[in-house]
Amino acid sequence: MLRKFVILVSISLGLGFLARNAGLTMHQATAISIFSASIMGTLFFWHFRLAFVFLGTSLLLMTRTIDLKSVITFASLEVIMFLVGMMILVGLLKDAGFFAWIVSLILRIKNLTANKFFVLICVISALLACAVDEVTAIIFIVAAIFEICDYFEVNPMPFLISAVLATNTGSSGTALGNPIGILIASKSGFTFEDFMVKAFPVMLACLFIAVMILRFWYRREVAELDRKMKEFGANDFLIRLISVPPEKELKVSLWVFGMTLVFIALHHRLELLWGLESNTILLTMPLFSSGCVMIWKWRKARKYIEKDVEWWTLLFFMLLFVQAGALKYTGATDVLANKLALLSGNSVPFLTGIVLWVSTIGSSMLDNVVLVAAFIPVIQSLHGLSSSLQPLWWALLFGGCFGGNITLVGSTANIVALGILEKERNIHVTFFRWFWVGLAVGGATASLVWAALLILPFYR
Amino acid sequence: MKVQDVMSRNVRHLSADTTVKEAAELLQKNRVSGLPVMDDNGMLLGMFTEKDILSHILPSYIEKVGSFVYEENPKAAKRKFGQLGEVTVSKLMRREVVTVNENVTLCEVARVMLTQKVRRIPVVDKDYRVVGIVARCDILKGLIEEERKA
Repeated sequence: MLRKFVILVSISLGLGFLARNAGLTMHQATAISIFSASIMGTLFFWHFRLAFVFLGTSLLLMTRTIDLKSVITFASLEVIMFLVGMMILVGLLKDAGFFAWIVSLILRIKNLTANKFFVLICVISALLACAVDEVTAIIFIVAAIFEICDYFEVNPMPFLISAVLATNTGSSGTALGNPIGILIASKSGFTFEDFMVKAFPVMLACLFIAVMILRFWYRREVAELDRKMKEFGANDFLIRLISVPPEKELKVSLWVFGMTLVFIALHHRLELLWGLESNTILLTMPLFSSGCVMIWKWRKARKYIEKDVEWWTLLFFMLLFVQAGALKYTGATDVLANKLALLSGNSVPFLTGIVLWVSTIGSSMLDNVVLVAAFIPVIQSLHGLSSSLQPLWWALLFGGCFGGNITLVGSTANIVALGILEKERNIHVTFFRWFWVGLAVGGATASLVWAALLILPFYR
Repeated sequence: MKVQDVMSRNVRHLSADTTVKEAAELLQKNRVSGLPVMDDNGMLLGMFTEKDILSHILPSYIEKVGSFVYEENPKAAKRKFGQLGEVTVSKLMRREVVTVNENVTLCEVARVMLTQKVRRIPVVDKDYRVVGIVARCDILKGLIEEERKA
């Protein structure tokens, strides 16, 4: 622990001195030093990450690297409020039995075969990750996988890994799938429609590739499940045990959530119609819906706020955004952006490759929000380079989501799913057991995105 | 009146290597919902309750899913219950235990019980050795007696 701490202090101070010697101002060097300490803090001391961003932000203020007004601006409260609203809605859906209902729907699939089950859990994982966040989606997919694998007495690990990889892939499809989606939408000005037109189809193509790879990779395990299904007589007996009647509360909750999604999907047109600032409805719709939920369920309103909203994570995001904002505020990212532009010969396609692969490799080791928060001010500083920086934003989104597939610590969904597997089945997945399949899926899907960003005209 | 006036000095306890099955039977036999876990020198190692057993049996994701989907108890829970003889108390017990010393007032113990949501608190000396245990009913008994004496 002490060794890690010494490495953290040495690298962050070293980067600060290096930046100062390279001609950056004292404030720029301080911002770089503090931000790198926070990044390494999340890497080495995950449970202390909030303490690191608290200390870092305080130091930024005390050293006058940033002022209070800018702290408020860079905290990106619009993104935090959006996430609060979505977490409350997910809490409502959970209380109403939505997730249990989804699990029962998966278990009740008619004429279930191993192949059908494998493909369906991957597709459902990806699509659910698009609608709710990836971490919520993976929890009840894992529940369904455990039920099926328990019933047919097969090892759930291959199916669980496949579902997680599909979830990470699917989370790039809309602005709702991953916190980085809404962060990028907020900072780039992309609308939900932009995501539906430019991210969703690419995500589907990547999902197809991922399912093909995974189906081949786990062919023996799927064959084993198929054999057991024939032996047990498919899931006919399982269907008879299931009892989750869709109650009135579930129907109303689905209606509330569905309407929220409809308004989010149409936000750009409604904003134009009502003359609202860009992304106003996108960012406030979950807040509006959760306000209605708190009136409808007023006895549980406090519970939704206190238990269902992950304040620990949101506070971490908020202060991390401030630290990334300090890089922009001091002009450190302008210097970095100029160097990057020079290095790439002012070529957007070349920069797209750099952003895609750095974010893919980076997010395989780091929390993707940390990485994207660092990249955003750099991309914003490149605005003079080209009339359209679109490919860079999309490269950041796909790299941030797909990189999470490469290692078992690459995304929160991986950590949550593997934690459940270890606790429930006492199965420990080794680093390399995940790495090779993760690299195959992550590498193939990122390559496909790279080709799409360079070739398809509407990304330019 | 202080904790030392109402606590039970004869503390029934579990050892860390007792199996969960044996521990569950002991809880049933003694009609208590939890017992402290101590080493041979009387040092407090943790607290083991019925809640720890139920948390172990139920799937960890069930709180997030919301409810079970079957009309009967799931196979996985039954299997885990059947394996309790292979799991030791040390694996399931809570290691962070709320304790008090014997000179604390009854109202202070009551406050700790309410804020920490615990039913009984081990009373320890300065070496963290258990000298007694105090439950909610002991506090009530003590308060009634104090009023009678007054």
